[in-house]
Amino acid sequence: MNTLVRRLVATRTAASPMRLAAALLLVLLALVLLGLAAGAEGLSTAWAQDAALIGDIRAPRTLGAALAGALLGLAGALSQGLFRNPLADPYLLGTAAGAGLAVTLVLAAGGLLGVELGLATGGALARLGLSGAAFVGAIGGMALTLVMARGATRPLTLLLAGVVVGVLLTALGDLLVLASPEALRGQRVFMIGSTSFLGWDSAAALALGLAVALPLAVRLARVLDALVLGEASATSLGLALPRLRLVLVALLALATGCAVAQVGLVAFVGLVAPHLVRRLVVVRHGALLALSALAGAVLLLGADVAARVLVAPQELPVGVLTAVFGGAYLLLLLWRRGRLA
Amino acid sequence: MTQDTAPPLEGRGLVCTLGGRRVVDGVSLALQAGQWAALVGPNGAGKSTLLQLLAGLHAAEAGELRLQGRPLAAWPPRERATRLAWLAQQGEAEAELPARSLVELGRLPRHGLLGAPDATDATAVALAMAETETTAFAARRLSELSGGERQRVLVARALAVEAGVLLLDEPVAHLDAPHQLALLRGLRQRARDGAAVAVVLHDLNLALAADRVLVMDRGRLVADGPPADAALRAALVAVFGHAFTVEQVVAAGQPRWIAVPSV
Amino acid sequence: MKLHRAVVAWLLAELLPVAPAAAEPITLRDDAGSSVMLARPAERIVSLLPSLTETVCELQACDRLVGVDRHSDWPAAVKALPQLGGLEDTQIERLVALKPDLVLVARSSRALQRLRALGLPVLALEPQNAADTARVITTVAAALGRSEAGAQLQQRLQQRLAAAAARVPAAWRGRALYVEVASTPYAAGEASFIGETIRALGLGNIVPAALGPFPQLNPEFVLRAQPALLVLPRRVAEELPRRPGWARLQAVAAGRICALAADPWDALVRPGPRAADAAEALVDCLLRLPPPA
Repeated sequence: MNTLVRRLVATRTAASPMRLAAALLLVLLALVLLGLAAGAEGLSTAWAQDAALIGDIRAPRTLGAALAGALLGLAGALSQGLFRNPLADPYLLGTAAGAGLAVTLVLAAGGLLGVELGLATGGALARLGLSGAAFVGAIGGMALTLVMARGATRPLTLLLAGVVVGVLLTALGDLLVLASPEALRGQRVFMIGSTSFLGWDSAAALALGLAVALPLAVRLARVLDALVLGEASATSLGLALPRLRLVLVALLALATGCAVAQVGLVAFVGLVAPHLVRRLVVVRHGALLALSALAGAVLLLGADVAARVLVAPQELPVGVLTAVFGGAYLLLLLWRRGRLA
Repeated sequence: MTQDTAPPLEGRGLVCTLGGRRVVDGVSLALQAGQWAALVGPNGAGKSTLLQLLAGLHAAEAGELRLQGRPLAAWPPRERATRLAWLAQQGEAEAELPARSLVELGRLPRHGLLGAPDATDATAVALAMAETETTAFAARRLSELSGGERQRVLVARALAVEAGVLLLDEPVAHLDAPHQLALLRGLRQRARDGAAVAVVLHDLNLALAADRVLVMDRGRLVADGPPADAALRAALVAVFGHAFTVEQVVAAGQPRWIAVPSV
Repeated sequence: MKLHRAVVAWLLAELLPVAPAAAEPITLRDDAGSSVMLARPAERIVSLLPSLTETVCELQACDRLVGVDRHSDWPAAVKALPQLGGLEDTQIERLVALKPDLVLVARSSRALQRLRALGLPVLALEPQNAADTARVITTVAAALGRSEAGAQLQQRLQQRLAAAAARVPAAWRGRALYVEVASTPYAAGEASFIGETIRALGLGNIVPAALGPFPQLNPEFVLRAQPALLVLPRRVAEELPRRPGWARLQAVAAGRICALAADPWDALVRPGPRAADAAEALVDCLLRLPPPA
């Protein structure tokens, strides 16, 4: 067993990022095919018969799940790089709480009749639709965190502000839910995440988000590398850290907001994807961001296909599956660490 | 004073207060090109803070600081970064980055965040890694290296900048004797090639091998001169409470000074 | 403490001049299996579950209610009563201050233990299906001292259901419905209370009993099943066309959607005595729609 582990460690550091990218792409392709075949009757290859279903439902759902996973993987890697903390996830800076509150507001406004405040703000939000509200809420939550922390100058302050905002907005959401029971059900669905109704418009929105966030983030990834040296050293290299950090935080909000707007608060994808990549290759942040996006796509699409296939025609909540996969993977990491030590 | 004749880095009357205490109390010094200087003093003397002031990482409350004759604050950050390299005392160790990527960060000031490295960058990186004997683990994760190996990679990063002014805070910590010497020899060579080098050292024997020794005590620069200067040696001994005496020896035909503990 | 109260109640019952039936202590069993004894029919009732509130009011004892929970909203008059919180956050002090002689709570209420410990007569009832509803009506009627009214109510409900079923046009008989209770989507299957109501109307359900009462479905399942009618809350019906592929449903194209407003929707999803209201509302809606092909 020990020699096997030692060999694994040796191959890990020797594996090249290109090979990992190729492997992930292959797995993604396989999952896409499975996704197109996974319907209400489990896996079926009656392509001609199901053409309409594939075109209307399975294709955009599969594509959407992959894109959302990519955004979450990217956001997770950004978050972990910005805070130099391997336990950071994309939902840290008030994005999740903000999106949740906005969704609750819209749901409550839809059902409530007598609450003046709800109607006044809920009306405009209701026109945007639930996805729009979630996106606006995510960005809003992040903005509130930035205001509280007075900019992105100090990471610890930012983190603390994010926690405070998260608690505050969640509490507001809970208060709203007390007054409106319909909001409770919808809120719970949003919290656990769902890929069931991803259509072509969702997929397009996700694609747009990824097309903007990924290249920009990769371009600026060197900043994350420099941050590894510490704030002072990075500044000594001539980097305008507060401004650059602000841009990166904005990209984090964009990626998270886009994903959360379409699939809700799916757990673990943002946390696990960068870990997986780091386990397998030694790379700088530019490649890490891109590979994390790819790994995130594989994770979420894998969970989505499993959600559809395992108990067809019923579905498992995709958020539960990502939590199971993610939790299992982290357990494996712990176990390995215990054996190597 | 024109930019050509100005010392590479000059500070006058620098003051810095931290937590109510004057950590740097009216220090004036000028680093010269072609010289490597050792900055020594007891714990809490203010050496690291002085270095941070000189590097522009901390704003001095009072006093002037000029890089190549121009006030330090007036330099755009990137340009300043190409001329002045600083190494932190405590290296960050939680890095999953490959060692080479870290060293390549030293070239960021030259090509900028959005620019791409070119041949000169590759050469500078290769040179720095050769000097610090870190080429062998270029592809390994920083967190997988030993303390000494990691320290050398971080020093390589500072060297890769190829700046005219090098401010290194305890670069030889965690290193064994052969590597310490190799590094200091490399720094001396860089000084001979025209750089102005200032190094915080704890090992007085190594410090006494420098071209110039700067002695700090309780925020003040108590002495500043070559080891050959008797007054400097006396000040050094006094500042450390006569815990040792400085003796002269002859090594390789050259007069050298060493500190002998008064046990 | 309980023994003491029982003895006092017995003494009062024996010593005070009483009307024939009202003086007899009433023993009741609730859903949690506990036995509750009432000295006389309850006059001051607190209800902490909407379906229990509705049951009391359907038994013509609405005036005996002194407090309800936050979510009880039928009939409109109960909204004027003191609102004592929801399932999780019942206002115990306020409740006790109302001096009720009977408290009706859900089995899953957190206040249950506390209220019992305070010595209040508490009935834990939570109807989940038609059989439960019948039992709850009987129990509450007995607590009110109106057992005959209870039996009459059940009879009336059956009659109304049968009448509603009779109104269903022949073209609709046996056709399968799709009832969505939450987005993702969660459907109400044959095994649910809603499913029972639909079956009582002589209509079918695309979700067989084998899938459980409230399964989370793959949306494709609904598209393949091509239900004759979609039953949804009004808000959900509005965004239905935006769901990928749902425009292809024949029911959507033909407009065979019952988008229920809050009140009939609540009546449909709450297992309780208003099932007949819901059935009637459903049939009213059906009659306005084009018949299925």
